[in-house]
Amino acid sequence: MVLDRKIAFINLDDGAIEISPIDPTLRRKYLGGRGINMALLSKYYSSDLDPFSPRNPLIFGAGLLSGTLGFGSRVSITSKSPESGHLGDANMGGEFGAEMVKAGVSHLVITGKSPRPVFLFIKNGDIMIRDAQKLMGLDTIEVQKKIRADMEDDKVQIACIGQAGENLVRFSAIRSGLKSAAARTGMGAVMGSKNLKAVVVRGNMDIRVPDPEKYLRAYHRHLKKLMDTKWVHALGTNGTPLLFRPANTLGLLSVNNNQLTSLGEKSHLLEAEALDAFSTGMVSCFACPIHCRHRFSIKEGKYKGINGEGPEYASIGSLGAKLGNLDLESVLYLVDLCNRYGLDTISTGTYIAWVMELYQRGIIDREITKISLNWGDIGSIEELIHLIAQRKNFGDIIAEGAYAKDSLGKASHDYLLRIKNFPIEMTDERVIKSFALGMATSSRGACHMRSRPSLDVLGLPEDVLEKLYGGPVSNKYSSYRGKGRMVWWHERLNAVCDALGYCRFASVFSSPHALQYQQFSKLILLATGIHLTPKALRDTGERIYTLERMMLIKDGLSRKDDTLPARYFDEPVPEGPAQGEFISRDKFNEMLDEYYRLHGWDKNGVPTKRTLQRLDIEI
Amino acid sequence: MKIKVNKKKCSGCHLCEMVCSLSHIGAINIEKSAIRIRKDDLGTSLNTPTFCLQCKDMKCIEGEHVQEGLEKRKFFWDKERAERCPFDAVMVFDDQAYHCDLCGGNPQCTKVCTPKALRYNRRGAPGTSGAA
Repeated sequence: MVLDRKIAFINLDDGAIEISPIDPTLRRKYLGGRGINMALLSKYYSSDLDPFSPRNPLIFGAGLLSGTLGFGSRVSITSKSPESGHLGDANMGGEFGAEMVKAGVSHLVITGKSPRPVFLFIKNGDIMIRDAQKLMGLDTIEVQKKIRADMEDDKVQIACIGQAGENLVRFSAIRSGLKSAAARTGMGAVMGSKNLKAVVVRGNMDIRVPDPEKYLRAYHRHLKKLMDTKWVHALGTNGTPLLFRPANTLGLLSVNNNQLTSLGEKSHLLEAEALDAFSTGMVSCFACPIHCRHRFSIKEGKYKGINGEGPEYASIGSLGAKLGNLDLESVLYLVDLCNRYGLDTISTGTYIAWVMELYQRGIIDREITKISLNWGDIGSIEELIHLIAQRKNFGDIIAEGAYAKDSLGKASHDYLLRIKNFPIEMTDERVIKSFALGMATSSRGACHMRSRPSLDVLGLPEDVLEKLYGGPVSNKYSSYRGKGRMVWWHERLNAVCDALGYCRFASVFSSPHALQYQQFSKLILLATGIHLTPKALRDTGERIYTLERMMLIKDGLSRKDDTLPARYFDEPVPEGPAQGEFISRDKFNEMLDEYYRLHGWDKNGVPTKRTLQRLDIEI
Repeated sequence: MKIKVNKKKCSGCHLCEMVCSLSHIGAINIEKSAIRIRKDDLGTSLNTPTFCLQCKDMKCIEGEHVQEGLEKRKFFWDKERAERCPFDAVMVFDDQAYHCDLCGGNPQCTKVCTPKALRYNRRGAPGTSGAA
């Protein structure tokens, strides 16, 4: 049964392993995945907890419905972030989360630091610590191939780090398969700090549901509802690269470190249609009907022989437009390079964009960089990726992420666009006000995926938006009206998706007709027997988000930190479709007020006692 | 009738395996299903759905004194039959073979195959209905 899955506490200091059932109250309150991860992390979290300390837990959490007939089988990986110094949390699809569940494991809490390199092997409820000396120095593809070959089992699923994680590059990813990555907030560096090269899982336990026939019928109804949306079919054909063109048309892109926000007519070089030349079909994560991932193969030219999955719009933006690089073939190569080293493509792109602008402005020069850093110089980008992952020369400085600013001088600080010490992504949100607020309030630092409130971009009738959001919301994306409400609404929903292990694309991401609380409630009941009403699930989302907020509050963060890079407020977009757009400080503050009020947080962004009591959050 | 496969379209989502086991044994276990997605997930990323091809000449039951028609309708098979299959298309897990019985003419796997890699067209009946 789903609820029989266990939680394992593994201390790598001495190899002690404790396996326990999951408290039913914890399940009801936090579901699984990101939700239970946060409940666990909150027990360890403090402002003086060093992310590289053995005391910092690295927590893996499969979603409550991962491994079932659902809409994705994702896993959340949570810790204190060495990249931001605050809350760390990343989420990946692929097969790893489902394999954890098949092995009877729901959550792993890994503390301590192994005296020698090790990997964990989990098989049908048993957990073993194995020597990993021979795996050190291998990239994330090589290590997976070697483990499978050594075990003579091509079905084991592996979450691993590459050289970047071993070298404690602060924005290292945990990777699985060709493409899946729990990449944001440096979870791979935490894994490296524990001398843990990989977590290897193999499971084939039955997942039983109370009434299979009823469950299957409900699943078919929900599947039909989802597949009836146009958005899902577009994703299943083109994947997230389909977003590149509208982002360019709106002026939502980051070009040359957000000095521009559109590529104009050159955009077609990086759009989904350009990827068709390399795409060889679409693939899915475990139990996902959407199949939004390209697989690609480069058959000729400089990068001949490279094949893989992806890339996502976020990676095309981060290693393409953001760096002034309009060569899509090189982007495929650079993304593959980051994936192999185990680097977060988004952060890698942002930090390189930052130093490229510093180079452009003469704030740094070859004396420190040793290489030229001109926009669109593919050779330099490639070399810098190698140097970062290997922590050599100038790359050793950049490997520190935002902390590198201490080495690059005060004049460098403002050009690293960041929120809560975490770099912004492949976009520029000056034009879409809901996106801008969502970036500012995200509990893991600058992140579009915490809320991703994009329905106002579709121009839907306002009565449709009001019905969905429960209050007035402007259907103009450049308007501030009701956008606090939008962000609040999506933050809660996405927290629930992450706790269930569902993919955001199956939920209200860009279609108001996709799945949400009502369908979640039904499938939770039929898969687990837990009865939670749609309203109770909304509260679950609020509980998870508010608990995350409380950890930020412990770090001393508050309203002053729910803000945007100065460039967003002070520099109107100079040209292109978003020309003249900027964020008004006054109106931004009004959005924040509305947002705090809806969350039940005070004017300073601190959850009130009443809210904590209502949500039954213990601190 | 047979289930037709276009393996280039297979996304490797495993939903076919999941509904196969769920509808036959009442549990989700992709290794207790009669269909198996063979994956090259660290290489070409290609997926190959594999299941009983419903051969006219059933090498799998050679030497057995059984009725072909009756055996074709069974889900649980002896693993010796899997060993005799020239296409390695009958799945075995824990010494138990799982054979595609076409769900009695209403194959569940085709109904969840959103990329339409699996198709089953009974004469006079809709094809991959429902979600697909």
